[in-house]
Amino acid sequence: MKHIYLTLITILSLTGSAYADRLVIKGSDTLGAKLVPQLAEQFKAQHPGTTFDIAAEGSTTGIAAIIDGTAQIGMSSRRAKSSEIGAASAKGINMKPTIVAYDGIAVIVNAGNPVKSLTKKQVEQIFTGEVTDWSAVDGSGGKISIYTRNTSSGTYSDFKELAMKKRDYAPGSQKMAGNEQIASEVGRNPAGIGYVGMAYIKAGGVKVVSIDGATPSIQSVQNHSYPYWRPTFYYTNGEPGGIAKTFLDFTLSLVGQKIVNQVGFVPIK
Amino acid sequence: MFKRFMYILAAASFIFGGMAARAQDAGALLDLLVRKKIITDQEAEEVRAELTKETAATSAGKLKLSVPITELELYGDMRVRYEYRGGRTAGNTPVGEPGAGVAGLNDWQERERERYRLRIGLRGTLADDWFFGIRLETSNKRNSTNVTFGNDGTSGTPAVPNGPFAKDDDGLFIGQAYLGYKGFRDVTLTGGRMPNPIVTTLMVWDADINPEGAAEQWKHSFTFSFGESGLAQAEQSYSKDNKALAVSRPVAEPWKLKIDVFANFAQFVYDDSNPENPLGSRSTSGGRLKPNADAWLMAWQVGARFNFPKNLYFQLAPVLYNYTGNGDTFNGHFVGGSPFVTNSASLDLNQTGINSLLVLEIPAEFGFKIGELPVRIFSDFAVNFEADARATAAGFPDKGDQRYAYLIGAGIGQLKAKHDWQLQAFWMHNEQYSLDPNLIDSDFFDSRVNMEGVVVQAGYALSDAVIFNLSYGYGWRVDDGLGTGGFHDIAINPLDKYQLFQADLNVKF
Repeated sequence: MKHIYLTLITILSLTGSAYADRLVIKGSDTLGAKLVPQLAEQFKAQHPGTTFDIAAEGSTTGIAAIIDGTAQIGMSSRRAKSSEIGAASAKGINMKPTIVAYDGIAVIVNAGNPVKSLTKKQVEQIFTGEVTDWSAVDGSGGKISIYTRNTSSGTYSDFKELAMKKRDYAPGSQKMAGNEQIASEVGRNPAGIGYVGMAYIKAGGVKVVSIDGATPSIQSVQNHSYPYWRPTFYYTNGEPGGIAKTFLDFTLSLVGQKIVNQVGFVPIK
Repeated sequence: MFKRFMYILAAASFIFGGMAARAQDAGALLDLLVRKKIITDQEAEEVRAELTKETAATSAGKLKLSVPITELELYGDMRVRYEYRGGRTAGNTPVGEPGAGVAGLNDWQERERERYRLRIGLRGTLADDWFFGIRLETSNKRNSTNVTFGNDGTSGTPAVPNGPFAKDDDGLFIGQAYLGYKGFRDVTLTGGRMPNPIVTTLMVWDADINPEGAAEQWKHSFTFSFGESGLAQAEQSYSKDNKALAVSRPVAEPWKLKIDVFANFAQFVYDDSNPENPLGSRSTSGGRLKPNADAWLMAWQVGARFNFPKNLYFQLAPVLYNYTGNGDTFNGHFVGGSPFVTNSASLDLNQTGINSLLVLEIPAEFGFKIGELPVRIFSDFAVNFEADARATAAGFPDKGDQRYAYLIGAGIGQLKAKHDWQLQAFWMHNEQYSLDPNLIDSDFFDSRVNMEGVVVQAGYALSDAVIFNLSYGYGWRVDDGLGTGGFHDIAINPLDKYQLFQADLNVKF
């Protein structure tokens, strides 16, 4: 009997405290590295006592966390795949996406690279390995070093879909854990090329190349004229409730969207 | 209201249009609605997620294809057959000591078999103009995919029957496994075990044979217009209420000729000799070094199909076959049996040698329509330019004139849709040294050369996918001074008379 009471108290304390004041958010590095922590800080200022547990290890982990029930919000920089939605449905989970910000995936090269613009075809050729030398795209020559995100990243799969017709990355491409690592490597490597979310384009030593004449900006992303624009999401199990809903509403509020803008993302309106 | 209507329209177009196939369409429609500012990105995402969820629950949604596959087709056919096949010995050949299994004079060997065949294939196209195909087939024979009901063996010691209904010969084998490239205009390159790329007839190639090697095909169409063409000038006419109407005056259709010119080249590995360079010295047979080069069958074909107006066409596709190397299985000199020895001794003579074969084949076809009924007249002609040497090597140096083969026939009707019917008949004649007996059709006349006869066939489509066929063939020896080279199901050589009846029920999918 004593054991039963103890167990009940433990469960109640975990579920009660966790879901009343503690918000578990997992997923996208693109969202989770800067944007969501800053939103959380501001939110905590308005809602004292709320604690956040944020794990930014890639969009795949965020969607998996909603399916597994180990997070209230799954951050994702890509849409959930049909296989993920199917797996969720089988468990009775209703994957509900909410667009919280737009992003433009910027193609970056080393600041010393003379290449200023690329066509969509050239981007596809470079990242699939069809073109391996900068001289083929009006560069100054030398073997191209490709930096991509790792496979659990939403940006990794989004870029494949948006820029590479879903083809595989070049075999020699180097997979990085986050946007910052890609920006850092490209900044150090004169022959480097990679892609990052708009929040990371101001990193030192890199520059953004235009794609078919378009560069990622608030306007070009909001009106979808930049080819590599994408929505970013919070995934929840159906309509969120409690602290998760409060935080989602805050993210979509004017204050939240101002933070979105400050961090380098594109507000939804 | 309009916004809601469009929202429902997007969902409906997806749901009622076939979930998986319409996913892309619905995505494009949602994007359009967003661009037109009829719905918001958020609303589009919600619809997209809901549709994806519904798609994932369908059978198609559970299938996953690798990204490089741009198109995949599952196809195949299943056939159930009753077959009677019989052959008769000659009345004037030497006979052995009479006994069970020993051929007498004018002696018939007859077989009745109930059989089935199954072929299941996948054809796919890949990104960047590549393609592939695989097909699984029952039976491991080169020129047959049939499995005979009840044809089960024994196992163990003492021998115990595996049957009834054992699966001794009910295996699936790789019938086709090929890949290819179509990245060059009008050119198709194929490698592997492939459908026969040569335009031919069953006189030369059994339709069940899938050759192995490489093939290069080129095809280009030229269209010529004669007579009046272009847009007709509008003429004025008047309607009853005196309002002017602009109508086009009728013009004569230009007379068009479309010519499909094609070339097919093939390099088939006929027989692999392994190892080409053995350890130590090469072995000998009969005091001669054993051949150690692979045997190849080369084919060069050029042809054209002339497509005239009113479904009239004519096709001619000459092809030259040559054999190089020896291999280790087909390097003996072809004899093809003999009428001057007993049946069993005749069967033991070489039936498969591919020496001295340089064959020119000229298949042709002429087609037209009577009303809605397609009619075709087809023919084939072949000559072996090295028949003299082949006859001499066989021990019949005075029979070098047995170098020709020909086929001529006609067909009416087609078997494309339910209630379609087709009738076809042809005469086939192939002389002892004219063709490669390993390739010719195994049904008419039991994979034999030095045979001639008639074949009639009738078919009826019980449904779009189910066809009932009847075939009858009757043949006899061309030159009584020779055997009937080659072998398949009837253990008689020379095969003096032969007949075959088949009733088939085919299902295509």
